[in-house]
Order: sequence, then C-alpha cells, then structure tokens
Amino acid sequence: MKPAAFKYVRAATVPEAASLLAEYGDEAKVLAGGQSLIPMMSMRLARPEVLVDIARIPGLNEIEANGVLTIGATTTQSAVIRSDVVSAFAPIIGVALGHVGHVGNRSRGTFGGTVAHADPASEMPAVLLALDAEIIATGPSGQRTIAVEDFFVTTFETALADDEVLTSIRLLAPTGNACWSFNEVARRHGDYALVGVAATAELDGAGKVTKARIALSGVSDTPVRVKEAEESLIGKTLSDGAKVAGEIVSSSIDPPGDFHATKQYRIEVAGAIVTRALNEMADQKGTR
Amino acid sequence: MSTTPTESLNTGLNIQTMAEADDVLGRRKYIGMSVLRTEDPVFLTGRGKYTDDVHLPGMLHAAFLRSPYPHAKILSIDKTRALALDGVHAVYTEADFEPILGHFVTTVHREEVLTVDRPIMDSTVARYVGQPIAVVLADSRYLAEDGVDLIDIQWEPLEPVMDAEKALEPDSTLVREDLGTNNFAHIEFQRGDTEGLFEGAAHVFSKRFHHGRFMAAPLEPRGVIADWDVASDELVVWSSTQIPHLIRTFTAGPLGIAESKMRVIADHVGGGFGMKAHVFDEEALIPASSKLSGKPIKWIEDRYENLAASLHSKEMIIYLEAAVDKDGKFLAFKGHYIGVGGAWPAHPWTSLIDTLPAASLLPSIYDIQAVSTQIDAPLTNRCPSGAYRGVGWTPGHVARETFIDDIAREMEIDPAEIRLMNSIPDEPFVSVTGMKYDGGSYSASLRKTLEMIDYEGLRKKQAELLKEGRYLGIGISPYVEPTAWGSEVAKANGFAAEFFDAANVTVEPDGSITVTTGCHNHGQAHYTTLAQVAADTLGVSFESIRVIENDSSQAVYGTGTYASRTAVVAGGAIMRAGKEVREKIIRLAAHAMEVSPEDVDLADGIASVKGVPDKSMTMAELGFMSYYGGSSRVPGVEPALTSTRSYDPPETYSNGTIIAIVEVDVETGFVDLQHIACCEDCGTMLNPMVVDGQMVGAISHGIGGAMYEDLAYADNGQFLSASLMDYLYPSTTEVPHMEISHIETPSVVTEGGIKGMGESGNIAAGAACINAIADALSSFGKIEINKTPIGPSDVMDLIRGLRGAK
Amino acid sequence: MSTNDQSAAATAEERIVRITVNGTAMSGIAEPRLLLHDFLRHELELTGTHAGCEHGVCGACTIRLNGEVVRSCIMFAVQADGASIETVEGMANNGVLHPIQVAFQEEHGLQCGFCTPGMLMATQTLLEENPDPSEDEIREYLSGNICRCTGYVGIVASVKSAAKKLSVIQSNANGKA
Repeated sequence: MKPAAFKYVRAATVPEAASLLAEYGDEAKVLAGGQSLIPMMSMRLARPEVLVDIARIPGLNEIEANGVLTIGATTTQSAVIRSDVVSAFAPIIGVALGHVGHVGNRSRGTFGGTVAHADPASEMPAVLLALDAEIIATGPSGQRTIAVEDFFVTTFETALADDEVLTSIRLLAPTGNACWSFNEVARRHGDYALVGVAATAELDGAGKVTKARIALSGVSDTPVRVKEAEESLIGKTLSDGAKVAGEIVSSSIDPPGDFHATKQYRIEVAGAIVTRALNEMADQKGTR
Repeated sequence: MSTTPTESLNTGLNIQTMAEADDVLGRRKYIGMSVLRTEDPVFLTGRGKYTDDVHLPGMLHAAFLRSPYPHAKILSIDKTRALALDGVHAVYTEADFEPILGHFVTTVHREEVLTVDRPIMDSTVARYVGQPIAVVLADSRYLAEDGVDLIDIQWEPLEPVMDAEKALEPDSTLVREDLGTNNFAHIEFQRGDTEGLFEGAAHVFSKRFHHGRFMAAPLEPRGVIADWDVASDELVVWSSTQIPHLIRTFTAGPLGIAESKMRVIADHVGGGFGMKAHVFDEEALIPASSKLSGKPIKWIEDRYENLAASLHSKEMIIYLEAAVDKDGKFLAFKGHYIGVGGAWPAHPWTSLIDTLPAASLLPSIYDIQAVSTQIDAPLTNRCPSGAYRGVGWTPGHVARETFIDDIAREMEIDPAEIRLMNSIPDEPFVSVTGMKYDGGSYSASLRKTLEMIDYEGLRKKQAELLKEGRYLGIGISPYVEPTAWGSEVAKANGFAAEFFDAANVTVEPDGSITVTTGCHNHGQAHYTTLAQVAADTLGVSFESIRVIENDSSQAVYGTGTYASRTAVVAGGAIMRAGKEVREKIIRLAAHAMEVSPEDVDLADGIASVKGVPDKSMTMAELGFMSYYGGSSRVPGVEPALTSTRSYDPPETYSNGTIIAIVEVDVETGFVDLQHIACCEDCGTMLNPMVVDGQMVGAISHGIGGAMYEDLAYADNGQFLSASLMDYLYPSTTEVPHMEISHIETPSVVTEGGIKGMGESGNIAAGAACINAIADALSSFGKIEINKTPIGPSDVMDLIRGLRGAK
Repeated sequence: MSTNDQSAAATAEERIVRITVNGTAMSGIAEPRLLLHDFLRHELELTGTHAGCEHGVCGACTIRLNGEVVRSCIMFAVQADGASIETVEGMANNGVLHPIQVAFQEEHGLQCGFCTPGMLMATQTLLEENPDPSEDEIREYLSGNICRCTGYVGIVASVKSAAKKLSVIQSNANGKA
C-alpha cells in the first residue's frame, strides 16, 4: 500500500500555488494536511501527477474575528478546536470537529481540507451549510467568494476551479438570539457519520424561530439543507416544531444505502436526529 | 474395518491421567502470582524485532498482483512492461514456480472429507478477490507495487459462487472443477434418541442463525523474509507466525529442502489470534522467490491484503432445533452447521476448524440426553476461512445462546434461571457429544457473575428505565472452552490427530536456566509465565530462568501456540522436564555435600542439607560442577543437568460466564455497551494479571464480531471491507470497562491442574452482547436476533419489524 | 505575481530531508512519495515506530511531531522536513524507563507490543495537555489508537497510573523548587 510516484512542490505563496495549479491543470492536487488524500494515494485510488503543498504558506493558517470570523484554510483542525475565538463565535464548529477522525488526524488535517475534500458524509460541509458560510478561493486572477450553497457539487467535487486554492472560510456574525445543535450517528466514534445533522436558528424574544437552517450529512452526494423543514419551524418554539421538522426531513430526503446502513435507516434516523437536535438546541446558545 | 469416524474418536487411548509433577504446587512461590512481564521493556522502548524490522543486505521487496475478481479465468499474463521498469528485478507466476515448488495438499483425515491438491500459486484461475496471481521483486516495495501495476493480464470473469446454501445444490457453478462438488465435507453425528425425544417433547423450537464473517486482523499484518543461500542450500525464513516449526514441516516438502537445513524465526509477532497459526501460500512463495532470484526477499503484507486475502473466519449458517419439556428442561438438540468456506480449505486446518468444533460443543454446559448434528462445508468465491480465536465455538455459541434466550422469552422463564436449571453439575462430566469436562464451575460461575452485576437490582432498574422510555438490556452467556489442543481435545472436536509438544530444561554452567519450547510467544507472556512454572518446578529463582521459543533452530520442536494450549502443554512439559532436572541437581548436590538425596532441599536456587542450614550449595556452584566438576560429579551418571520431555495432555476445559449490559437508543439504533462482567475459571492460574489480560482482550474481539466487524461481500463477489474505514475494529470508545473475577477449579487430569484459556472471551462475549440487545428490545414484541454483526441499521430493522408485527 | 521560472519546480527527484529526532539532528534521502513511517523505519533505522494499516486508521505509526500526535503513515517525509519528531526510542533515559513506560508494564497495558509505541506517544501527549484526565477523556483521546490484544482495560489503567506517577514527580519537583 504505497503511493505511485508524483512530483512534489512546496508553494511559498498563494499566487505561486495558484500558478502551479494553472501550470499542471487537473494533473495536480493541493496537499495540505493530507489526511484524506494520502490514504487514497497509498491505495492508488488517487494518482495525482503533481502535489502542490500549501501547508507552509505564511498567513494561511490564521484565525481572525473582526465582525466576521475568518479561518485560514491550513489552520489545523486541532488548532480550530483549541481556538477560543472560534468557540466564542461559533461553538458548533469545535464540537463537530471533535467528530472528525481522531486526535492524530486533526493535528495534521486542516480546516480547509475537510471542506475542499467534499466528502458528503463528513461533518464540516454540513456545519458550514448550516452556518451559511462563505468559501474564499484564490486563483491566478485573484480572489472570489463562493457561497456555501454553491460550493459542494458532488462527492469529492467542489466549485473550485483546477487552478484555485481554497484560502479561507468566512462566517458572518450572528444577527439575533442564535442557537445551534449538532448530532450524528456513526458506527464508531470518529467514523464518518451514517447520518448527521447541523442546525442553527435565530429566535425572537418569545423564543420563536425567526430563521433556521438544517443541514444533513451522509444522505446525498453533497451536504443537503431541508428548506421545507426549516420553514416549518418559523413562528414556533423549537420544541413545538421539532417533531414535525424531523418528519419533513424523513419524507423529503433520498439517501443512499450501503452495507453499514440501509436507505430506510438513513431516512428514519435523519428525521429522528433532526428532532433531537432541535429539542436540544434551545440550551445551546451562542452564535449560529 | 468400518467404524464410524465419530466412534473411532475419543477412545481415551492417549489420556495420561497420572500427573507426574504433582508436588510442584506444594512448593509454589511464583505460580499464581501476578509477576510483571519480563518481555515488556523491549516493547516499551521500541526494541521489538518484528518481521519488517529485519533488513538483510541485497534484499529485494516483493509485491503480489492479486485478483480483483472473485472468479475469473486468466487468459494471458504479459510481464514485459513490468520487467522494463527500472528497479524491477523479476516477475514470477505459476509457470516460474512450477519446476521448484510442489503443491499444498489439504485435508482432514476423515473419510467424509475431500482432499484439495493445488499449486501454491495458481495463475490460471482466480477464485477470490485477493488471490495471488503473480509476484514482483524490486528494489523497494514502492517499485514492486509500480511493477504490479504494469503487468498486463487478460481476465475472463466467471460467475462467482457466493451463496453458501445454493453452492450445495447439485446444479451450482463449481468453485473448483477438480472436486466435482462444492461441498468439501459432509459429516453427521448422532448420540442418544434424538428423534424419540423430539417426538415426545412438550415444546420444540427452531432457529436459523447466520453468523458473520470476521477475522483476527492482528495489528501487525503477516510478513515473510526468506534468505535461501544457494551455495550451502540453507534456508532461513523470518515469518510473522505462531507456528515456526510447523511452517518448516509444511513448507520444506513443497520447497524441496530438508527440515534440518531450514530455520524459521518468528522473533516478535504483533498478534496472531489463530490467524497466524496457518501455513500461508506466501510462506512458501517467498522462499521459492528467494531460490529463483538468488536474493533475500522481503514481503510485508499490507492491510488490504490482510483484510482481503489472509484468512477469514467464523461465517456460518446454523439451523438449530431444541426439544424442551413443559418446565423448560432441555431434552435434545439438533444442529446443522453450514460453514461458509472460501476458495479452498485453509492450510492445514481447513474450514472444518469452524464447523466441527461448533457441532462438537453444541451441548456446552447443558445436561441434555441426545444430540444430532450435521456439517456441510461449501466452498465459495471468498477468501479461505480457518482458525481464529475461539474457532467455530464462537458461531456455535452465539447461535445456541441466542436460541436459549429466544426459548426463555417464549416460555417466560428468566434467562439466568433456564440456564441454571439445565446446567450440568460442577463436577467432571462427559457431555452427550463425548467431551470429557474435567470439573469446573459451570453454574457457580453464572451465579457469581449474576452477583457481580446485582442481577435482581438491575432487573428492577431496567423496569424503571423502561417507564422513562429507556431500553436497558442484560445479556447472559455462560461458556465452556475446550483448551490445550493436543491429541485428545482435537479428537473430541472431530480432528483425528496424534501429536505432542516438548520442553527442554537445561542448567547452564553458571547455574542459570534455559527453557525452550516450540510454543511460540506472541503476546501471551510465556517468557514470564513459563519461567514462573520452571522456577517453581526446579526450586530456583524466577530471575535465573530464560525462556526461548521463537526460533526453530534454538527451541525444541513443537507445534506452536494456538487453541489455548501453551499453559497446559508447554507448562506440563516444563514441569515434567523440570522435575527430572531438579532430581539431577539434588543428586549432584547430595553427592557433593556427602549426604543422601532425600536430605537435600532445593529452594530459591540454593541446595541445602535439611536441618544443617550452613551446609549448602548455590546453583552457580552446581552448574559449574555439572560441566567441569570432573570427579566430584556423580560417578556413572550422565553429567548434564538437562531434560527434554513431551506432554500431550488429556482433554481439559475452562469455563465461566460473561454478562453484557447495554442501553439501546431506539430512535437511532445506537447500542451503548455499558459494562461487561465476567467470572472465569481456568483452573490453576499461572499469572492472574495475564489471565485477566487474555480475558478482556478476547472479550473485545467478541464485541467486535457481534457489533462491528464484518467481512462483507456484495452479491457479485466484490469485497466490501477492503480497508479499516469499513472493517471496524472496536476502539477505546466502543469497548467498555470490564470487571473480571475468578473461580479456581484445578483440572483433575492435567499437570498442575492447569486449564487453558484465552479464547473464551471471543466465544462468549458476542452472545452476551446480542442477548443484551434482544433483551433491551423485548418490550417491543417477540424478538429474535438471527445474525451477526448487529449495527444500528440492524437494530432499527428489528424495531421496525416488531412494530410492524403488532 | 511570481512567474513560473521563479517558482519552485515540481519534481519527483529524491531530496534530502532534515529532521530532529528525539533531540538529534538527522537527515536522509526521500523521494516525494516516501511515507514518513518508512523514512523513520528504513532510512533512519528507527524501527520502534510501526505500520499497522498505512491508511491512517490504526494508530500504530503514531509519533509526536512538533509536540503533537501525528500518524506517520499518512504523511510524506518531505512534509516533515525541518520538523522536530519524537518517537518511542527517545522515551527511556539511558535504559531507565519513563514513568509512562513503567505504568504500562505495571498495569499490563501491552501484550504483543505492536501498538505500544503509538500508545505511548499518544499517552505522553494526552498527559501533557491534560495531566489528570478522566476515564472518558482517556478513552476519547486514545480512540484513534487500536489495540487488538488488551481490550484497552490495561491501557486505560496504565494511563491513569502514569498520570498519578507524573503528578507525584511534578509535585516533588515543585516542592524542591
């Protein structure tokens, strides 16, 4: 189980990385923490000709909160979990990251990597969808902002162009009385979820939902929002709306089945954990 | 002569009921103590020497091209592009090996069993995903894998045989055309009036159980290094094996080399669990590659190879029937065991290592009057299957014990009560299949485990929690473990064999002691526990003993470590040899101190004259005297203080009970395994710390098999569990805290009263988990779990089924 | 913007990788695809670090890299250039076992020994980050390190015991200071 040969280059700057990616086109892959890419290469399921290592580009691993929260792409997942800034701004991120692999993966695995890898069963894509995040990508012609809704195309495929580097993830500050919840079922702790939910809501003074986002992992080829379920919550307290929202989720998703869990399982349990997440949500204040 | 095979077994001819070394326990100082492991510092400091840690000058690295198809004809193999790659030295297929390598011929010596004779590398037909088709030798493993990618093969896919029951039908596609059938063996066994008891029974129950396919998956995969010196025609093989001497015996023939010129080293082995007690194709192919290339060759199995193409175990479809009287007393059992075999029988045990033991242990601790069993052994296009910790006792046990819970629920009898009322007495007992239990705590261990968890209190708590919508479950699983695989216990399990193991005990010139056995140490702490036995047997200090096992040229011949045998077999052989050496030491000391041997005591390495404390000699003095003492040695007596003795013990069985406590989340199907309690009885314990370690380790395997680990194939034969992302080892967060207690009922037949142990956790824990899950869900309706493993999706299927049935 | 000729070139050439291992500066040759565990084991001949799965699941290859727990089987040696690495070989001091190693022996935290180097590296890091972990915290932290022998009972006990030993050493050191 050894990778095929490839050409390696360590980029010193983002423009250099982008220009290398432009040079090699779809033969090149970005290497950051490598926690998903390297196993696939060792199994020879991935055979990039060129790896552009962005892990040491200065400034790409910084976390800033300045009205908006910006997490640099190569910030390790461990560093994000340890960050007081992140946990103050969006506690759901650290909680959900605790389910991404194990400590020995998170020490190398990057925040940008777990997003750009676009595994529909992984936690962070669903969390960012629930948080209405923005993905910042940099290519040879400069930077652009991609709404999270538009970012995930299909399994392992994103809206990033071949010559673009995901450079940071940006979150807007919450606008109201916000709360959040994260829930998943995995075969074992640290495994990809059979099905998972990340949800956020804003409440009015009476505790009624004014805005909600419910995002699921493990039920499609991308993380998915269930807008009908979100809308069903508007004007209700979370506990009043939780059951119906869960039922809507179950009736509106079309998940895959595999030998770890049937399609029917994912349909039922997605609804159940959405209801559970919404019931737990009122106690989990904090931003989104 | 036409005796039925079952009657020719268990003749008792080989039983050695007279323990020779019965005085050892009377002077024990170390046996029974939790002596810390002397092997640990080596591992703790990273100085272990596992197979991949060995590097030889000029060594090439091997990688195998393995079949991606479950069943395919190979039309052509073109090595050109691979051989053209810089760094690739050779590509070998069956045709290259044919002139220098014989076949593996595999069978079990019973008239019902077929024989499979096959080339060790078959490059013409692929019969399972992962079968080796060609091997590439290169300067590095990286380059060898590059070479594999460049071999051009034309495949013609054939229909795979995946359904084991359909494989038995006469019109099935054949896995092996040369056999003319897919059924490697059909064996029947009958004792007592089964039919009469079933006809007269108040209740008859039946169950079909499909036990899952899982495997040892030791953390260190396999690995073989071979260095065939073509000048001296001597072969040294390093292999990650549990059976170095058997590797030599089984491969020397096909390799065409004398065993005396072949040395097998298995220095440190990162777990075996029975898997590495087989003779694998690679263990012949790598030495043959060394011979062909004239270079030392290293092959280190990767995890894909380990999962897809080493050895699978335990998959079985089991049909059980029970005749039960009106009070819940078991009268007779029937069992049909269909072992889901692979493309060929694993060498040398075959897939019957699962089905025969499963059938033989059907009665377990239950006092029944009659039994009839049937075994079928279909080949399928899967990885070969064979022995893994607990062998077929595991699936047999899970099926039986879940069945008993089904019966208890149906008859509204408490699952502990139905077991206690049917249990055999705690005295020696011959089971209806003929197993000679040597006394134990068959019901006492169950009672003690119930006390450990406060069974009655827990049942009340369970009822309270149910009112809150919480689903607690308690699963009970009492077991008997056949141990100390030697001639007798092998025959009790349907394998006709006569063999022995030996130990050598030698006093060195400085008085230190070297003990060797052929029972390989790969984590079981033999260098500690067998030193405890030797020290107590001889009457010397523990620190003066060195145990050597892991090199066929250093250790006395033996068949290796597997099947919970070493404590009994090697321990017994050491006791016998040690007793002789002790007598020689005492005779020498008596002669030197001019007293009679009866007046000399030997303790703590000092031979002293009884009643004359200042008249004594040390082991250093005696050792030197034995080698160089000239005329001060005993005249006319062989001077060496050494003895080699063998031991082939009678049947001996450990026993105990495992209870699992779970809480099931009925909305997600998630099972929280909260606690495991166990009371075990392995007779005389050599080292309780090591016993506990074996117990909890094996229990974690049982948990894996029941809830996580599944070697799954798609219907089209593709292998789905090809990485550790899909083959799920339980980790710290899945295995709960466990509490282990002991009852010590020494064997009445073995040296020292020692019984084997180490497998029962994997035999019995799975049933405890499954019974606990069923118990937790029993309020939903008439639950019956009939497969393993059970994951969250299966739990939801069960709940959905029960809700639908209402 | 940099132009291509100013950029580093992407090559498959072997290169020298320099790392500090257990406090000693070391270097070796690595082509880009050489995995860090192979570099440590076969290039630097530090065979204490093991490879159990080579796809980042089992934890046998766990080392400490710049003080953090890292799986050396899913990292290329070239990525580690310049890093400070600790392996099991650096734990004992002139043959005197580290208190964590002593705890593993006393509490039967190992059997076959194959997972042990990785377990020790993870345990050391855990106890630096959290000197008095609860059982749940220990189990959560070590969940990426598979042991096939012990059922984790001895390992959890070893970590608890090691925490006690280290806290006694720490408080003795504080007392003297």
